[in-house]
Amino acid sequence: MAETADLIVVGGGIIGCAAVQHLAQLLPRSTRMVLCDRGAIAGATSGSCMGHLMVTPDDAQEYAFTARSVQLWRELNERHGGFDYNPTGALYLADDAADIELFAVLRQQFIDCGDRADILDAKQLRELEPGLAFDLPGALFYPGDGVVLPMLACRAMLQEARLHNPNVSVRPNCAIFGVRRAHGRVLGVDTAMGPIDAPIVVNATGVWAPDLAEMAGQPRLPIYPRAGNLAITGHHVTPIKTQLLEVSYIRFAHGTAKVDPTRTDDLGGHAVNMQPQTNGGCLIGSTRQFRGMDRTLNRELLHRSLLRAQRYAPGLAAAPIVRTWVGLRPFSIDKHPLIGPWPGLEGMWIAAGHEGLGISLAPITGLLLAQQIAGVKTAIDHRPYLPARFAP
Amino acid sequence: MSADRVLQADVGIVGAGPAGMAAANVLAAAGLRVVVLDEGHRAGGQIFRQLPVGSHNAGAIAEPPSHHHGHALLATFDQSRVTLRCGASVWDARPGRLWFEQDGASWLLRCRHIVLAPGAYDRCIPFPGWTLPGVLTAGALQVMVRGFGIVPGKRAIVAGSGPLLLPTVTALLSAGVHVVAALEASSRWRALRALPGVLGNGARLSEAFWYARQLLKAGVRLRWGWTIFGCEGDGRVQRAIIGKVDRSGRPRRETAQTVDVDVVGAGFGLVPSIELGLHLGCTSRWHEGGAGHALVVDAEQRTSVENVFAAGEICGIGGAEVAMAEGHLAAHAVLHAVRGTAVPVAVRKKARRERGAADAMLRAFAPLPGLHELAQADTVVCRCEDVTLATAQAAAALYGSSLRAIKVGCRAGMGPCQARICGPSLQALAGREPTRAMDLPVVQVPLKAVRSETIVNAPPA
Repeated sequence: MAETADLIVVGGGIIGCAAVQHLAQLLPRSTRMVLCDRGAIAGATSGSCMGHLMVTPDDAQEYAFTARSVQLWRELNERHGGFDYNPTGALYLADDAADIELFAVLRQQFIDCGDRADILDAKQLRELEPGLAFDLPGALFYPGDGVVLPMLACRAMLQEARLHNPNVSVRPNCAIFGVRRAHGRVLGVDTAMGPIDAPIVVNATGVWAPDLAEMAGQPRLPIYPRAGNLAITGHHVTPIKTQLLEVSYIRFAHGTAKVDPTRTDDLGGHAVNMQPQTNGGCLIGSTRQFRGMDRTLNRELLHRSLLRAQRYAPGLAAAPIVRTWVGLRPFSIDKHPLIGPWPGLEGMWIAAGHEGLGISLAPITGLLLAQQIAGVKTAIDHRPYLPARFAP
Repeated sequence: MSADRVLQADVGIVGAGPAGMAAANVLAAAGLRVVVLDEGHRAGGQIFRQLPVGSHNAGAIAEPPSHHHGHALLATFDQSRVTLRCGASVWDARPGRLWFEQDGASWLLRCRHIVLAPGAYDRCIPFPGWTLPGVLTAGALQVMVRGFGIVPGKRAIVAGSGPLLLPTVTALLSAGVHVVAALEASSRWRALRALPGVLGNGARLSEAFWYARQLLKAGVRLRWGWTIFGCEGDGRVQRAIIGKVDRSGRPRRETAQTVDVDVVGAGFGLVPSIELGLHLGCTSRWHEGGAGHALVVDAEQRTSVENVFAAGEICGIGGAEVAMAEGHLAAHAVLHAVRGTAVPVAVRKKARRERGAADAMLRAFAPLPGLHELAQADTVVCRCEDVTLATAQAAAALYGSSLRAIKVGCRAGMGPCQARICGPSLQALAGREPTRAMDLPVVQVPLKAVRSETIVNAPPA
């Protein structure tokens, strides 16, 4: 006899946890919900990334999407805490005269979205962050960004879920081997702990989302792992107290330039992203490179990003690095996540493909997914993220 | 800038303890160019630790008869044509290459062969108050007393398990510290399991007698089946709560009593330092008796990776005699690889005999699972990240029971020590699954914390 559930979320990263949280809030208390992960909760991408809560003002839709999510993070912190939430704001830095012009452009974008950002001159920047290089020409400060510790945030989300629905079952080390289906409907999944019958399955498996989709007979989803090298210092040495990033990061990480994730000769790139930790450590990123599921360190890229970080915060040169590692971002081919039902298979839902913004966007993703499953009006326009855009 | 920070050698040895020195002496005598890298300020390792150059030691630290081997080894090592780099932390490696930081500078050693002899860490089993100032591991106490001539306090208690307790006691006695008691968690009967190893081994037998005499002379009682339940004090340790344990090491709370002390030495054995070996790709195994992972070596100390050899504690906890014998053997195996000379049968036999005796010892003093019940809900288990037992248990319950799951679930093991202190006990503590083998730690560069610019300036391979 197979176990029976009403809903299965596959993938215990930040997206899966956020999905469970919002589903528990919106669906009846009696809903039997299971969260499965092949390894540890937050054991893959969500346990090897940075925790920047980032508002991007590219256009009104993007702003609503990102800002609403950061707002949801703030609310989760007020209710739970315990995940080092820190509303540091973000400093956009430049060391190049050409990049300084981007400050005004970016500031205008925030204003156009009804928000604000301030251009700091060299003196104001030094007052705010005395640990930065003295020759920096200035910065753009956006107060709305923040920082969290993603792996601990997963716990807060699951705790929140259990407040609304005590029957949420969380199963680490429970890999999925197959998705059972008939007549265009999902019937359940086969797991390492036996089969589970359920009419709804959510694919929140990040870089593995294409594999699970294939198990469900779907075409491979256009999600590709994009590797990032990270380094972290010891405690009490961070020269900064604000989330910092190079203004060129916007172009680099979120730009519209065409990238081909299937190329095997991607040399990768880097733009500084530095994050203060509550324990006084400093997290240093970020690099981007397509090279499949390979998680070995790219020393060349790491060296370049450490050197670049030293350029902005010279004190980092002498800071002890205690660990470096590689995480895999789930890059979606059109740079937008997939959130919603898969058209060809009733009961199959997807929440994946956030690349480097998965932490920041987890709450709004969970909310939009849960609202669609519950059949209620969505908080913001959810249509740009519907997976149907990739359906044949 | 980095071009001149490259060393060349035939053999690179990591660790200048008994295993590393023994290997270096043989190889240097054979005319090979040898570079030895060590984190300490002088050669000797943990067991034959020397005071800093120029400091005046009363020379009063009593030593067991076996230590004359150490003095002979050191004397030969000092005379031999070996390049010793002290204060050197190896932070990255691949076969034939060792990157290290020394005095804040980034160095590379290019060497055809590598001998790994990095030794071991103290095994920490958390108990209430173990993070109070004045509570030290057995190894740390020896570093203070023998390495720096520091007298750590006036009244001490030493608790733990295994042969390491005894040198801790004698080091404290030599420094003039009154040792109130020495508590061995194993019962007398369990300790008898060590007998086959000791009886067949004259050196170990005479060493045991020597320690027994020292304790007797100083009036220190060795209490079998006792351990430390906790420490208390205002700002530093002032009292120790001690009591009896049952056969599995579980504290018998009704036997608890309080003693006034200002120093506590806790030594629950050692854990092999295998990170460098794992990073090089060497195969490891779970060593049940030693309750730790150790590198796998063949009968002549070869690891599974070509041209990488290992000797001493990294192959399983065994002590100085094993380390010296295996270091010696590893050197002959290197000579065999370089020159085709045969490995002397006597050298191989000696190493095997010493290892056999050591394994018997390990079985007798293997960590008792019940000792993990000393920690209370609010006891800190990861001192880098200030994680309590309750938090670690909650993480294991929600995130999974793997080492990785506990780490991401509460950040235990993510601090500066990279789980070297908490890792060996973390799964047993958080999951209360004491008999299971712990997961192999994931090793990441840098293997030891080094400056950011050391990584950036690393000389190319």
